[in-house]
Amino acid sequence: MANFLAQFQTIKNSSDRLVISVEDVSDLWPTVKPAFEARLPFKKASLNNKTRNPVLVETLPAEFILTTDSRLRSRFPQEQLLFWFREPYATVVLVTCEDLDEFKTILKPRLKLIVQNDEREWFIVFVSKAHPANDQASKMAKKVYAKLEVEFSSKKRERCCKYDMHFPEANFWEDLESKITECIRNTLDRRVQFYEDEIRKLSEQRLMPVWNFCNFFILKESLAFIFEMGHLHEDALREYDELELCYLETVNMSGKQRDFGGGERGDDQAAVLNPGNKALTQIVQEDSFREFEFRQYLFACQSKLLFKLNRPIEVASRGYSFIISFSKSLALHERILPFCMREVWVITACLALVEATTSNYNDGLMVPDIEKEFFLLLGDLYSLGRVKFMRLAYLVGYGTEIERSPVNSASLSLLPWPKPAVWPSVPADASSEVLDKEKLILQTTPRAKHFGIQRKPLPLEPTVLLREANRRRASLSAGNVFEIFDSRQGPVEGSGFDASSRMSPQKVHASSMSRTNSSPGNFDGSIDRPMRLAEIYVAAEHALKQTISNQELLKSLSSSEEFEQKYLELTKGAADNYHRSWWKRHGVVLDGEIAAVAFKRGHFDQAAKSYEKVCALYSGEGWQDLLAEVLPYLAECQKILDDQAGYLLSCVRLLSLDEELFSTKERQAFQSEVLRLAHSEMKNPVPLDVSSLITFSGNPGPPLELCDRDPGILSVTVWSGFPDDITLDSISLTLMATNNADEGVKALKSSTAIVLQPGRNTITLDLPPHKPGSYVLGVLTGQIGQLRFRSHSFSKIGPADCDDFMSYEKPAKPILKVFKPRALVDLEAAVSSALLINEHQWLGILVRPLNYSLRAAVLHIDTGPGLEIEKSHIIEMESCACVSQNDDGQGGAQVDSLNYEKRFERLTLDDGKVVFPNWASDTPSVLWVLIRAISDTLCRGSSSGTTRRESIVDGMRTIALKLEFGAFHNQTFERTLAVHFTYPFYVRTRVTDKCNDGTLLLQVILHSEVKATLTVYDAWLDLQDGFIHTGQTDGRPNSSFFPLIISPTSKAGILFSICLGKTNAEEEATKQPESILNIKYGISGDRTSGAHRPFLNESTGVDGVRQELIFKTAITLQRPVLDPCIAVGFLPLPSDGLRVGQLVKMQWRVERLKYLDEKEVSQQSVSLRKQKKEECLLHVRSLDEVLYEVNANSGNWMIAGRKRGHVSLSIKQGARIIISVLCMPLVAGYVRPPLLGLPDVDEANIRCKPAGPHLICVLPPALSSSFCIPVDS
Amino acid sequence: MATTACFIIVSRNDIPIYEAEVGVAAKREDAAQLHQFILHAALDVVQDLAWTTSAMYLKSVDRFNELVVSVYVTAGHTRFMLLHDSRNDDGIKSFFQDVHELYIKTLLNPLYLPGSRITSSHFDTKVRALARKYF
Repeated sequence: MANFLAQFQTIKNSSDRLVISVEDVSDLWPTVKPAFEARLPFKKASLNNKTRNPVLVETLPAEFILTTDSRLRSRFPQEQLLFWFREPYATVVLVTCEDLDEFKTILKPRLKLIVQNDEREWFIVFVSKAHPANDQASKMAKKVYAKLEVEFSSKKRERCCKYDMHFPEANFWEDLESKITECIRNTLDRRVQFYEDEIRKLSEQRLMPVWNFCNFFILKESLAFIFEMGHLHEDALREYDELELCYLETVNMSGKQRDFGGGERGDDQAAVLNPGNKALTQIVQEDSFREFEFRQYLFACQSKLLFKLNRPIEVASRGYSFIISFSKSLALHERILPFCMREVWVITACLALVEATTSNYNDGLMVPDIEKEFFLLLGDLYSLGRVKFMRLAYLVGYGTEIERSPVNSASLSLLPWPKPAVWPSVPADASSEVLDKEKLILQTTPRAKHFGIQRKPLPLEPTVLLREANRRRASLSAGNVFEIFDSRQGPVEGSGFDASSRMSPQKVHASSMSRTNSSPGNFDGSIDRPMRLAEIYVAAEHALKQTISNQELLKSLSSSEEFEQKYLELTKGAADNYHRSWWKRHGVVLDGEIAAVAFKRGHFDQAAKSYEKVCALYSGEGWQDLLAEVLPYLAECQKILDDQAGYLLSCVRLLSLDEELFSTKERQAFQSEVLRLAHSEMKNPVPLDVSSLITFSGNPGPPLELCDRDPGILSVTVWSGFPDDITLDSISLTLMATNNADEGVKALKSSTAIVLQPGRNTITLDLPPHKPGSYVLGVLTGQIGQLRFRSHSFSKIGPADCDDFMSYEKPAKPILKVFKPRALVDLEAAVSSALLINEHQWLGILVRPLNYSLRAAVLHIDTGPGLEIEKSHIIEMESCACVSQNDDGQGGAQVDSLNYEKRFERLTLDDGKVVFPNWASDTPSVLWVLIRAISDTLCRGSSSGTTRRESIVDGMRTIALKLEFGAFHNQTFERTLAVHFTYPFYVRTRVTDKCNDGTLLLQVILHSEVKATLTVYDAWLDLQDGFIHTGQTDGRPNSSFFPLIISPTSKAGILFSICLGKTNAEEEATKQPESILNIKYGISGDRTSGAHRPFLNESTGVDGVRQELIFKTAITLQRPVLDPCIAVGFLPLPSDGLRVGQLVKMQWRVERLKYLDEKEVSQQSVSLRKQKKEECLLHVRSLDEVLYEVNANSGNWMIAGRKRGHVSLSIKQGARIIISVLCMPLVAGYVRPPLLGLPDVDEANIRCKPAGPHLICVLPPALSSSFCIPVDS
Repeated sequence: MATTACFIIVSRNDIPIYEAEVGVAAKREDAAQLHQFILHAALDVVQDLAWTTSAMYLKSVDRFNELVVSVYVTAGHTRFMLLHDSRNDDGIKSFFQDVHELYIKTLLNPLYLPGSRITSSHFDTKVRALARKYF
């Protein structure tokens, strides 16, 4: 059957659509052909697929062929079975008849004959030629058609339809199509069934020796072809897939050594998309096909169907894996294939696939995910082709053109060299080419790295090419050449191309020597001598020329420019597609390769842009090793483009990379570049972000704590990433308040130059007063030469420009805390008890610093009215043990007092100010100021009844204090102290006894007012008018009691004996209204507790001498009060209350309390005033009568009766009388009642009991109807 | 034992936070960089693959000539990437699981800032020991 292969192929190629045969019984075809063919191809045909499920085929192309056509007639029955797919799928029988008889006799038998063949699917189209106007003819036609239907249609199947030539029925064509489709479907099913049966039969014999893959292939492909003709591409594709599986199985299974193929001219060009590349008969081999061609053929068929199915993405994905797996097969057979055949095939396959898939790809019709995958595949294809292309270029000697970047190095150095059976040798006539190549090698200097970076270039080769090539050749000859060679190469092993090119001068020398010694043609490919690099290149070039049949590819390898062009095209293709598939890492890396080419060509602008992308990717993701590779190139571009800002930034980034990535020398080069630019004239100075290089933080430990309004000094740790010392001309550092963001950020500035050493530095900055709150470090800015830089406090943990990084940032540690305003110092009076008034006294001011230093504090003292500072302006200061009042623990206080060393210093007040000594800065101290309170008023004693508050208020004086302190006297504290002054004594007097002889014993009680011991040395009383000392003495008490010592706050009494005395006329002129008590006293007290001995200047006062002070106080003596003799009582008012206009009777009761005798009358009269004396005596004579008088406010009261008059009252004790007066209140409310007075009797002698009411309530008058006025009138 | 193996931990911000060459082969000087490059490029694959499965171990995601990249993604999207040439799938999986445990222990260290470089020598020693154990 394999013999039919050629025939099969031609038949398959010639027939490409379904055939419908037309049995033209009545010669109608020429007439109806145009109308029938216009229906082709059929739309929406319903066919069954392989699993017998209905499938709607969008378009079904078909062809009408007459049965009389030669194409159908000249077939042998055997062929018909084998190539059944080309046989008609339906038979249309065209008939017409206008006569029933004719139908019966002629047509019917003929039709019966035609349709008796069961194999065919047939149906009859009755064509009615009758004109519709011709009723007769139409009727006849109908009749004939009816007969026809009866004869040929069955219940199961309608096999007839009627076609009206003039006016076809509306549904005729649909009817026809459905009938044809039905026929095709049936035929198709039957044939598929047939092929399947055949295939199954063959498959069962698979393991038998007679089995022939070609037969199997013909059946399988026939089936596939049937499906393809029926536009059931899915099924066709499945057949091919099965075929491929089956083929691979036979290839792998059979132990037979088969010819792989691929050795023919042009095989290097992949035919993955061209099924007709080679005729199958050419590749047939025994019972199977050659693998090289046949696998490509299968793939080509599959991709053709996939394209028809509009699935270019699947083509790409199948293609990629096909290339990979096929490349592996090629590798297995590399020994028999031409040199580098595999590489060339992969390149061409990739490019062909890319081209075909992109041209079949409709942009934007796909789901984004699938689209992404598609571009990814394209990217992979491009990049695969690119790698292979680079490999070829390297072999030809364009290695210097290839950038030694990580991507190229990774792709090439891990890719093994091609392994031909024999490495190609130099052709005989290529000596000039070898010389040219050698020249080229000598000319190319390895690309200088910028900044003098001494880094080993990355390799582009898995092993040294020189060795590999020679080893492959040497394996043919004696082996020791290789060893010799190896020892020469030893020291530079692994360094790849550069090493060999560095070696080449010596080698050239050696070869030129050899040339002089031997004939020039000596080096034409002698196997014994190892080849030199240039020879290897030339040999490879020649071999490739043999291999490569594609002119374009050959051209690409013909010169370095052409190579670069192709290389760029492939790289761009890969990069673009990776970008479109969102594989940014792949894409950006290839962008870097494009940049390298642009850089080489001098398109620095473009190169910089691409390099920037690469650097952004690597630095964004923190892959520093890779960044270190690219960044110098970017910097170089920027330098050439004069992009100072970018260049500086790149230098800073280079410096901030891990230290081990560059040597110190290289890092110093980066720094010197920065400094060079910083100190040169910069056109557009932009702030440089050095966050990664100069970092800063507060010192470890607690933050600096300051009080409100205090300046300070802030110490900050700055790390410098520069390899050398660097001088910062100025820096400023901002502090940010953590609680309040909108407050203007203040910068701390240091204008002096600061030299930063590599690593950790500590700098100090002056800190102006800040508002209360806590502060964190903000931004460090500064200047290096002309260059302004700024740094955020990012540490080196991660890259600063990563968004996510912020979330990982440590919470900012406050560096400065400024406390809310609080009391820093307290000033208060040291002594709370009173001081002596009118004497020089030490006023103690307790100065207590509250955790705050009072170094060099200045106290302003300003005295209030009634207080003066002693003229000598002496101030004493002493430290004070009485620590804080807040001390809870007793123990603490004790310790304090134990450790306490008393300090004392005498200061002077200068211009109202006093400066604190240093020792007083931290400890509480007392400031003693010598003052005197002045009081002009005389102290007054009091009788026992009155209060003494008056005197306390009098003794109050104020002193205003203002303390300026803090480092810059920035803090002030003001306080006005109240100081209490007092006289030493408070004097109270009392007449203790009234003797019968008229002597009054006056007791003077001295209250000590001060917390000091008072000593009374002497006391005397200067009596006022009307009193005299008894016994005509000077009024001094018995002196034997003196000195009288009075303890603090205790009392003492002195008794004076006085009596009422007369005054003579002379004395009246100098009469004194008050008595004066004089006390000579001394005081011994401590100033720390209160009043003390007044300070005397050293000149006048001598210690130990008794210091006597005089205290004077005025005492008012009053005549003794007499006994009452008359009582007046107010009798109660009626209980129902008073009303306006209502009379009420007021009653007083007057009662004589004691018997009124003459003597008492005379004594009484003493108390009366002189001018009234006579009158008084007159009244007294009529002793039994009493004069009364009622006083009332006439506006409130109307009095009826006598207001004034005499009533008689017996002189006997107990005599009483009631005085009644009628009154009428005139106003309502609380009013004063009328009062009864006795004008003749001294008020002192009247006792009011019960006392009259102060106010009484008067109700308004009762309502009277006569006052009512009707409202409506 | 694998001749070549390079292990890298990549934080969820794509930053490499730990690197170790754990192969037995004599180290090529440039290998570290090439390995880094390959692993970095493989991140592209991981980014697509990581969301298609709920398993942490993604098996081998990428192939570079003879070298294979195996990846393990933790719940926090930290990726353990191993570039290797051995076929010991189970061993690699166990290796990843044990390293995961070590990594979690590191994370629990209050002084370790998530996402920063792992500089603990203890961690390094342990990882290398695990590598010797499993491949």
